[in-house]
Amino acid sequence: MKKSGLTRRQMLLAAAASAPIVAGLAAAPSLVADTDPDPPMPAGHDHAGGHAAMIGHEVPAPGGPRDLDKLLTPPPALPHKPGRVREYQLVAVDRKIEVAKGVTFPAWTYNGTVPGPVIRATVDDLLRVHFVNNGSHPHTIHFHGIHPANMDGVFEIVRPGESFTYEFPAKPWGMQLYHCHATPLKKHIHKGLYGAFIIDPPEPRPPAQELVMVMNGFDTDGDGGNNFYTVNGKAFYYAKYPIRVRRSQTVRIYLANLTEFDLLNSFHLHGEFFRYYRTGSTDHFEYTDTVVQAQGERGIIEIDFTHTGLFMFHAHQSEFAELGWMGFFEVVD
Amino acid sequence: MANGSVAAERRGGAARWRLLALVPIVLLVGIAAAFVASGSSLVSLIGQNPPARDEFDIRRVEFKPGEIKILVRNPQPEDLTIASVTVDDAIMPFTLDGPTTLKRLRSSTIVIPFQWVEDDPISVGVTSSSGIETVKEVPAAVPTPGADGGSILGYAIIGTLVGIIPVALGLLWLPSLRGVDARWLGAFMALTAGLLTFLAIDALAEALELQAALPSALGGTGLVLLGVVASYLTLTWIARRFSSKGGGSAGAPLTGVALATMVAIGIGLHNLGEGLAIGSSFAIGELALGSFLILGFMVHNVTEGLGIAAPMAEGTKVSFRRLATLALVAGGPAILGAWIGGFIVNDVLAVLFFAVAVGAAMQVVVEVTRYVAKRTPGGLTGGHVVGGFLAGVVVMYLTGLLVG
Repeated sequence: MKKSGLTRRQMLLAAAASAPIVAGLAAAPSLVADTDPDPPMPAGHDHAGGHAAMIGHEVPAPGGPRDLDKLLTPPPALPHKPGRVREYQLVAVDRKIEVAKGVTFPAWTYNGTVPGPVIRATVDDLLRVHFVNNGSHPHTIHFHGIHPANMDGVFEIVRPGESFTYEFPAKPWGMQLYHCHATPLKKHIHKGLYGAFIIDPPEPRPPAQELVMVMNGFDTDGDGGNNFYTVNGKAFYYAKYPIRVRRSQTVRIYLANLTEFDLLNSFHLHGEFFRYYRTGSTDHFEYTDTVVQAQGERGIIEIDFTHTGLFMFHAHQSEFAELGWMGFFEVVD
Repeated sequence: MANGSVAAERRGGAARWRLLALVPIVLLVGIAAAFVASGSSLVSLIGQNPPARDEFDIRRVEFKPGEIKILVRNPQPEDLTIASVTVDDAIMPFTLDGPTTLKRLRSSTIVIPFQWVEDDPISVGVTSSSGIETVKEVPAAVPTPGADGGSILGYAIIGTLVGIIPVALGLLWLPSLRGVDARWLGAFMALTAGLLTFLAIDALAEALELQAALPSALGGTGLVLLGVVASYLTLTWIARRFSSKGGGSAGAPLTGVALATMVAIGIGLHNLGEGLAIGSSFAIGELALGSFLILGFMVHNVTEGLGIAAPMAEGTKVSFRRLATLALVAGGPAILGAWIGGFIVNDVLAVLFFAVAVGAAMQVVVEVTRYVAKRTPGGLTGGHVVGGFLAGVVVMYLTGLLVG
């Protein structure tokens, strides 16, 4: 583990805030994620031994209470209207981001965050994604889904300073994802070029509190292994700021795994079972409390909480959980 | 008159010439200032400086009930910030006793509440704000002794067992050495030289090994050389004082109690390092203090007492008090070393101690050799002397296997 960070540091270029961020992204009304600016502290907890669950103020997590709202809450689903144009702008930009308390990572990002913004369309919408490369390396966007070969983000390498517009009808419905497909692939993905891509079915899904969770890891010392694991880019963020949800309402999580270096990642929920729709493209679901995803795998989770209170969720690889991939739902009436 | 003014002029001239000696220094300061003022423009002519390594120097990991303490130092010129701490690859909340951002060679103590498992291997990691993680593997977590009455006494007993007692026992050979003929006395003196040579090499290896683990900014081999030279020269000066005090002409070889005292000082400095090594290895859980190890050190060090006794075999009788003092001089430092090693982390001091032991042993070997050359029939090449020297090295090697 003890290695110098030379490789990644040489790549470092603080291009930072040189790019216009997010144009086409519809302003997302905060349906859910009523994140409490004052994190709760359950009574009777004991941190002195260091082995009680970490929650609230004591958790070493970066960022402020609402920093991840945009990544957690997807833009709203729109009714089915074939041929409607949905436009997004993604700008690749090199940026140092804080991935764990006090630890910065020289990331390659779409629109300044890792993961990148949530792209959402309804099936049969015409998706138009304007991609500008303001980074220091050639990049692309490769969408999962059905589209022509010349829109696949494999052959159309976009050099620094250049741009490209991806255009195709959104299909099939389900939880998709996008990521850079420039080589070396491993480097371009672990540096942070990926995000969630939701295609809604023609028949709207039942109303729910909708959340997006992209599982990932960060290799901050360049040794080919992750030092930190997160959902949505900040270690232990949802342990410090639990996600407040209502017992009366279904919680729908669009879950994807973009962890590099490790073969699998997982999601486990405490005290409840949920429906898991693999890839979210059919009505088939599995009733479980733990799902495992390979890199690039994704699905939709629907939870109807039985009890109120604080319920932990985390990777069921203990190491990932203890290196940042752990959080809480605060279920209220 | 004329002569006087010429002399004055010459003096004035000499003063002027001496002032000129300042010119290189003034120029150096000026050029250095200009270089610093130019910033990084020189570097940019050739390329780019590599990024800072951002690795910590984890100096010590202590295990207290429900708590782990990590002493870290910044070994690099650039500032280094402690951002995240892991135990067995799990992020842990921590508090700091010291600064979060460490300047060059500054240290801080990280305190982590943690229920560690006794005797299990454990690893601790300290991650800098730039994401570089320094990991230290601890082979087995054992409680680190604190500086209370019990442990102070414990280290003192260890020091007594491996230092004072064996040396004192070795000194008891003195009566049997009396009256042996000059060739056999020479053999025993050569044996002393042999064992001291062994100790010098042993301490040198230890000093070089310890310095390799130090941040390069702290001197490394230069520090070892400094310790060796300083102790060698200091002991040479002391030996000269002994020899002129003893009525002999300055430069005459030391004899009797004076030479025995020199041997005792040399051995004492070695035992200081030995005690420090035992104390610190035990404190950080790297050494099991079994009875076999203690016995090994005792057998090993009995020979040292013989080495001190040999120079006193001829000449006047030596009082019991003097013998006790010699045993304390040669063995007592083991106690001091054990305390320092057990309670204080000072890796620089440890390197210096061993280096000083090297210089001291070398100096005493020189003294003993001069004595043997002058006093023994057949000089340095006689069979008894050669055999005695070899025997000294072999005995130390064989008894050293007991503690290896």
